[in-house]
Amino acid sequence: MKKLLALVVAVVMLLSVSSAFAEEKTVLTMWCIATESDANRPAYEAAIAAFEAAHPEVEFKWEAFENQSYKVKIKAAMADPESLPDIFFTWAGAFLGDFVDAGNVYCLDEAYLPFAEQLPEVMLQNASYNGGHYGVPLTMNIVALFANMDLLAEVGYDTVPTTYEDLIACCDALVAAGITPFGCAGSETWCVTEYLEPIIEKTIGYEALNEIFAGRATWNDPAIATAVDTFQDMIIKGYFDPNGLALGNDQVKANFIAGEYAFYQNGSWNCGEVDDAEGNFQVALFPVMDAEKATYGQVIGGPSDTLAVSATSKNPELAAQAAFELGKEICHYGYLAGSGLPAWTPDYDTSAVKQLVADVAKIVAEADGMVLFGDTAMSADPANTYLNFVSKVYGVEIDGAGFVDSLTSALQ
Amino acid sequence: MKHNVKKILSSALVHILLLALVFINIFPLYWMVTFSLKTNDEILGYSYKDAETGQRVQVLPNHVGLPHHWEWGNYTEAMKTGNMGQYFINSLAVTVLAITITLIASFMATYALTRLVWKGRKTMSKFFMLGLTIPIHAAIVPVYVMLSKLGLLNTYSALIFPYSAFALAMGILISTGFMGDIPYDLDEAAFLDGCGTWGIFLRVIAPLMMPAIATVGIYTFLQCWNELLFATVFVSSGKYRTLPVGVQQLFGQYTTRWGPIGAALTIATMPTLIAYAFLSRRIQGSFIAGAVKG
Amino acid sequence: MKKTFSYRLNIFLFLLPALILFVGILIAPIAMSAYYSLNDFNSVAGKSMTFVWLDNYKELFSRTLLNSETGKAFVNDKFMGDALVNSLVLAALSVFIQLPLALLIALKLSKGITGERAYLSVFFMPVLISTVIIGRLWMNIYDPGKAGILNAALKAMGIDQWLFPWITKHISSSKLPFTGQWTGFKETALGAAFIPILWQYVGYHMLLMYAGIKGVPADLLEAAKLDGCREGQVNRYIIIPYIKPILKVSVIFAVTGSLKSFDLIYTLMKDTTKAELPSTLMYKLLFLHNRYGLGSAIAVILIALCFLFAILISLAFRDKGEKVS
Repeated sequence: MKKLLALVVAVVMLLSVSSAFAEEKTVLTMWCIATESDANRPAYEAAIAAFEAAHPEVEFKWEAFENQSYKVKIKAAMADPESLPDIFFTWAGAFLGDFVDAGNVYCLDEAYLPFAEQLPEVMLQNASYNGGHYGVPLTMNIVALFANMDLLAEVGYDTVPTTYEDLIACCDALVAAGITPFGCAGSETWCVTEYLEPIIEKTIGYEALNEIFAGRATWNDPAIATAVDTFQDMIIKGYFDPNGLALGNDQVKANFIAGEYAFYQNGSWNCGEVDDAEGNFQVALFPVMDAEKATYGQVIGGPSDTLAVSATSKNPELAAQAAFELGKEICHYGYLAGSGLPAWTPDYDTSAVKQLVADVAKIVAEADGMVLFGDTAMSADPANTYLNFVSKVYGVEIDGAGFVDSLTSALQ
Repeated sequence: MKHNVKKILSSALVHILLLALVFINIFPLYWMVTFSLKTNDEILGYSYKDAETGQRVQVLPNHVGLPHHWEWGNYTEAMKTGNMGQYFINSLAVTVLAITITLIASFMATYALTRLVWKGRKTMSKFFMLGLTIPIHAAIVPVYVMLSKLGLLNTYSALIFPYSAFALAMGILISTGFMGDIPYDLDEAAFLDGCGTWGIFLRVIAPLMMPAIATVGIYTFLQCWNELLFATVFVSSGKYRTLPVGVQQLFGQYTTRWGPIGAALTIATMPTLIAYAFLSRRIQGSFIAGAVKG
Repeated sequence: MKKTFSYRLNIFLFLLPALILFVGILIAPIAMSAYYSLNDFNSVAGKSMTFVWLDNYKELFSRTLLNSETGKAFVNDKFMGDALVNSLVLAALSVFIQLPLALLIALKLSKGITGERAYLSVFFMPVLISTVIIGRLWMNIYDPGKAGILNAALKAMGIDQWLFPWITKHISSSKLPFTGQWTGFKETALGAAFIPILWQYVGYHMLLMYAGIKGVPADLLEAAKLDGCREGQVNRYIIIPYIKPILKVSVIFAVTGSLKSFDLIYTLMKDTTKAELPSTLMYKLLFLHNRYGLGSAIAVILIALCFLFAILISLAFRDKGEKVS
C-alpha cells in the first residue's frame, strides 16, 4: 500500500514537474505584413528561425496580413490594447506616434542599450517620441529614380540626366522615339507622392519641406504651386503612361522591368527586384529644379519599417529583446536581398550586396539632407488629407494653386 | 399561317436576346477559368528576337481562346501558398453555424412576435426590422472591443455571432411569412391537448417550419459567405481565416501574375457553383419562397 | 390564453436569443456610434473625447472651406455630398436600369418559354459568387494594360477609335487622354462600378419577380385573355399591379443596397476617391484618418437614410386608400 502510494505521489510529482516545464515555454506573438510571397518573407523567416534557435525557451507565434487590411486591424486592436500581440510591425513617424500617444507602446530605451553599438541612435529618430525610443528600425529606404539605360541609349544618353533641362530634353527625345519616359501608378496615391515629393523638395529645399511635414510651416508657398504645375506639365506633355491612372504599382513596376518605361521613380526597396531583372538599370535622383534652394543630394526617405512592442505584453522585456534581435536579422537578410539599406551597421560579409543597393547606399552616404516620406511624417488625419489632394494632382483635377490653397486651409 | 411565322420570329428574337444575356453571364466566368490556366506571356503577349533573322517578333496576347499550354502549376501554387482548402472549410464552418444560430433565434423570436399575444409586439417587430438598414461596417470597432473583452477574438465565434446578428432581421422577416401560413387551429388543438407555449413551439410550430430553414439559410448564406471586413479584423490566426480574406490576401501577393490569381478565383468560386448546379432548383425554390413570404 | 407571469416569462425567453444578438451586436454599437458622432474623437491616439455637438455633421456637409490666408474657397476633401450623390446615382441606376431589366426578363421567362429553368439558373448564378471575387474579376476585365478584355474587345471592333476621343472630350475633370482607364477617371469610375453590380444582382431581382408572377392566379390571366387583352396589356394591368409587394421589396433592397454598398468598390479600385461612396468614405475616416467621430457621423447618416428611403418607398407603393402601417 505504501509502495503504491509512493508510486502515485512520484507519478503526480513527475507530471506536475513536466507540466511546469511545458508551461515554462514563454509564448511571444507577432503581427506583420510579410505575407507568403512578400519580398521580405524570407528575411522574416530566417530571422525568426535564428531567434528560435537562440531561445529554445520561447515559443514564437506570428501572423502576416495583407497590407491594406493590416492597417484596419492594427487600429481596431488599439481600441482594446489587451488584444495586441507582443510585437507588431508598424510604420515609424506619426503612424506609430498615435499608438505611443495612446500609451499602447512599450518604451525600448532600456532594451536598446545592449544594441547601441550596432544600431546608431540616429536610425531610431523616426520612432522616438518625447525623448523615448519606441520602435526598432528594420531597413531604411529613399525615393530613387530607376532608369533603363538601354532605352536611354536609344536616344543617345549613356548617363542619367542630372539637370532638369537635360531630363526634359531626354524625355522629349524619348517621346519622339515612341518610348514612354515615366511609369507611375495613379491608382495608388503613395506612388504619386514618390514623384511629387522629390519634385517639391528639389524646388523648395529639404529644410522647408521638413518644416511643412512637421506642421511647423504651412503649405502656403507659391514655389510648391510651381512644383506641382511642373509635375502636371510633364503629365500633360505625355511623359507619363496615361494608363498609369488606373494601374497598380506592381503592374507599373512590371512594365518598367519589361522595358516599357525609361524611368520609374519609387522606393529603393525595389532595388533587389530591378537588379535581378534582365536589362541594364541604374539608380539616380531627381534633378534640382531651383538651385538656389535645393541641391542634388537632397533625398526623400529614412527608416520607416519598424517593429514595436505593445505595452500590454506579458513579457515586455523579453519581447523588446526579441524585437531588437529580429530587427537586426530582418535588416541583415533584407539588405542582402536588396529590399532596403541597413538601419543596423552590418557585421557580416557585404560583398554579395547587389549593385543597385550599393549605388543607393552611396547616394545616401553623400546625401545633403533627408526628409521622411510625407504620409509617414504627418499624423493620420493630415497625412490622408494630403493624399486625397495628391490623388487629384495626378488626374490634373486641381492645379498647383488649388493644391496649395486646399492644403493650407485644410491643415490649418 | 402568317400569324404563326410572326410568332416564331418573335419567339426566336426573345431567345436570341436571352441567349445574349446568358453569354454575358457566363463569359466572365469562362474567361476567368481560361486565364487561370495561362502563363503571363500568353495573357499579356510578348516579343522575342528571332534567331535566324534577328528581327523582333511580337506574339499577340491570347485574350479569349483556350490556353495553348495548360498551366496547371497555377493551381498548385494557389493551393500551396494560399492554403485555400483550410479557408474553405473555415468559411463553411462559420456559415453553417451562423445559419443555425440565426434559424433558432429568428424562429423563437418570430413565434413570440406573431403567435403569442402581448402588448408592444408590433413595436418590437419594427425594432428588429431596423437591422435591415444598418451598414455592417459601422459597428466594427465597438464589436471588436466587445469580442475582445469576452475573449472571443480569433475564434469561429468571433464571426458566427456577429454574422447571426446581422442576418437576424432578414431571418425574422422571412419566418414571419412562413409562420403566418400555419393555421392557428393547430395551436388551439395542441393547447387543449395540454401543451404549454414551449410544447406548441417545439411540437407543432417547429416541425412545420422546415421549409423556412432552406429559405432563411440561403439568405443568411449570401450574407456570411462573402463578408470581408469583419473576417479580416476579428480573426488573426490563419487557422480561422475565411475564404474572402484568403482570396484578398492572395491578390496582394500575386498582383501581376494573372495565372495564380485566376486559379485562386476559380478555386474560391467553384465549390459554390458546383453545389448550385446540383441544387439549383431547390435553391431557387427556397429563395423564391423568401420573397413571397417576406 | 392567460396572461400569467409564466406566460410573460415565456415571451421574454423566446425573444431572449434574438435580443441578445441584436441589442448586443447591432444596437449597442450603433448607439455608441451615435454618441461618438457628436464628439471629436481620435480612436487610435487614445485622446479623450470632446463633445462638439453637430460639428462633425457640419464638417461632412460643408461643401467648401475657406482659406483664411488667401480668402479663397476650396473643396473640402471630406466632402460627404459627393459621396452621397454618387450613392444616389448608383441607387437610381439600380432602380431604373437594373430593376426594369429584371422585370422584363422575369415577364418573358414566366410565360413558359422553352428552357425556362435553364435560363433561370444561369441568371441567378452570379448572386452566389463572392463580391470580393467579382470585384477582382472585373478589375481584370477593366485592366487598361494589355490583358484587359474590355479594351481588347473595343479595339478588336474598332470602337475605341471614336469612343475614347469622345470620352476624352467630355471628361471635364482631367486634361489627360482617355485610353481605357475606366477606373481612373471620376466620370467613368462610377459606371465601371455599376456594371458588376448590375451583372451580379439582375438575377436576384429577376428571380424575386419571377416568383411573384408565377403566383398570379391563372384564372385572372385567363379572364384577361378572354377579354381580348394583348400580352402587353396583361403585363401592365394584371401582372404588375399584382406583384407590387414584390416590386416594393426589390426597390427597397436596390436602394438600401446601393447606399450601403462597400465591398465591390473596395475590391475593384485601390483608390476609392474616384467613385467615393458614403461607406468607403466612412471606412477611410475611421481607419485611415483616425477620425472616429467623423466616421461615426456617416454611419448615423447612412442608417437614417436607409430608414427614410424604406419608408418613402413604402409610401410610394401604397395602394390608394390604404393606411400606412
